Amino acid sequence: MASGFFTDTTLCIGCKACEVACKQWNQLPADGYEFSGNSYDNTMALGGTTWRHVAFVEQAAPPEAPPTDTKWLMMSDVCKHCTNAGCLEACPTGAIVRNEFDDVFVQPDVCNGCGYCVPSCPFGVVDLITHADYDAGRGFSLDGRTNDDATQSRGGVAGKCTLCYDRQKVGLVPACAKACPTDSIQFGDVAELQARAKKRVETLQARGVESYLYGADDGTSVGKLNAFFLLTEKPEAYNLPERPVLPSTRQPAGYLTATFAGAWLAVAAFFIFKFRT
Amino acid sequence: MSDVKSVQPPQPDGARFGASSGEGLPAHAPATYYERPLLKKPHWEWEVVTYLFMGGIMGGTGMLVALADDTPEREADLARSARYIALVLAAACPAILIKHLGRPERFLNMLRIFKLKSPMSLGVWALIAFSSPAAVAAAGQASRDGLLPGWIAKLAPRPVSNLLQGAFGAFIAGYTGVLVSATAIPIWACGKRHIPGVSVCSGLASACALNAAVLALTGGSQRTLRKLELLELVASISEAAILESFRRHAGSIGDPMFRGKRGDKLRTFTLFGGIIGASVLNLLPFGGKAKTVLASTLTLVGGYVLRETIIESGKASADDPRAASRQPE
Repeated sequence: MASGFFTDTTLCIGCKACEVACKQWNQLPADGYEFSGNSYDNTMALGGTTWRHVAFVEQAAPPEAPPTDTKWLMMSDVCKHCTNAGCLEACPTGAIVRNEFDDVFVQPDVCNGCGYCVPSCPFGVVDLITHADYDAGRGFSLDGRTNDDATQSRGGVAGKCTLCYDRQKVGLVPACAKACPTDSIQFGDVAELQARAKKRVETLQARGVESYLYGADDGTSVGKLNAFFLLTEKPEAYNLPERPVLPSTRQPAGYLTATFAGAWLAVAAFFIFKFRT
Repeated sequence: MSDVKSVQPPQPDGARFGASSGEGLPAHAPATYYERPLLKKPHWEWEVVTYLFMGGIMGGTGMLVALADDTPEREADLARSARYIALVLAAACPAILIKHLGRPERFLNMLRIFKLKSPMSLGVWALIAFSSPAAVAAAGQASRDGLLPGWIAKLAPRPVSNLLQGAFGAFIAGYTGVLVSATAIPIWACGKRHIPGVSVCSGLASACALNAAVLALTGGSQRTLRKLELLELVASISEAAILESFRRHAGSIGDPMFRGKRGDKLRTFTLFGGIIGASVLNLLPFGGKAKTVLASTLTLVGGYVLRETIIESGKASADDPRAASRQPE
């Protein structure tokens, strides 16, 4: 049984309780007081110590349309806990694992900070918490253990949503879903959440609200997302990729190319060494 | 249930999630999220650039060890210098990786597992598979050169170490290209049929250059130098051809690499200096040691700039939310 999140953006009111609850429970440092100027979004992106991020899009109606066409999109973004996870496949230490709840978890004491998971995430979720972050008070501890290795070395460790692995282990709902006042974030068995989400889309369609599910199908190489979304705009509007691709699918072409190049040069070298006097 | 868009099978015009056609959605939807990056940048600095550069030379040198004819009247001088160079690089490569990771123990974490799906895991194991025979081969060479007791040479059969160094060297020269292509970074991803080839060619060209410079300074034969120069020419021309093919294939996704200051630097140091400049110098029928060293320096600088450009353009490419939204297959 896979556990996950169904984030219904039509219910989100942009209160950021999920962001705060996540920071509180996971003892993650604050993001500072930068002002972005992008609607109410001063968090701006998911990061090594920012595991929920509420996106805001104030979308004015075009001049010819009625003012009621003005939309205010709010969406709480999170690690997608992909069925085929790019970060997990890339990880050379085995620090990134799939746990008993079918979620993708970074073991901070095994991670060696190589940073390969960071560009390997098709959603731009996981990031490295570097030495500079720790110096600036933006490091983190997990399961009550301060990660000594990360605090002492320049490389840092990878950080992302754990889907509250610790809370799940004792039967608790993840902090963000627990704190969400509108049930925009729902936690549960993914199959059950999907059934609920599909009904919700039908209900919205019947009311004339165009909506669709993002990440609930097997349409791409990353597979179903354990954390999927109900959206009313194109994915790009929320900074989600329209077409995510599992990076490891490019490996066969890559190895083949390298083999051809190597074989060509080996043959050239063979003849040069053999026949040129 | 069947009229719900999201439960329909994947669209035929390329796999993607939901809202594939965009029909029913307002036409004034913003195309990006405040132009903010969709992907995260790799945190790779000069250590990784240097590793890619040195690893390429090490791999290419391994290929030279395997392919040189190790008899005194042929390229025994090259086989000899290449064995020593391979050992030095095999020691330097893990050192630079450890510098990148911060602490020596962190390198050991890589050795917990062997993972076919992770080019980085394969690369670390290839590094070990290369450096062990490299150490044995260099010890055997030192023994034959009178630097170590003679019996050591008998323990290091050359055919075995040659084969291992050649095979794992070729892998090391190529896998770094696969490693970067197997990420979500648009410019790297769209180079899956080019960057691994460029890595191998640049690695071998730089290996020829370094070995030629060392041979020129340590009294290698002119005949061997000419062969190395010819092989470097073949590798450099192949590299230039693949780079040009990549530039055409990538289109605007390739801009971070081929346009602006980064493009100028790549053209100046890698194309004009390392490929054209060094090749012209190598083809000159005069010049002696100084010419060989100068040509080699140009090639090595060009090789380093190429690796640096690949890494830095990847960081810039990660900042482009449009390229990151429809990711290359």
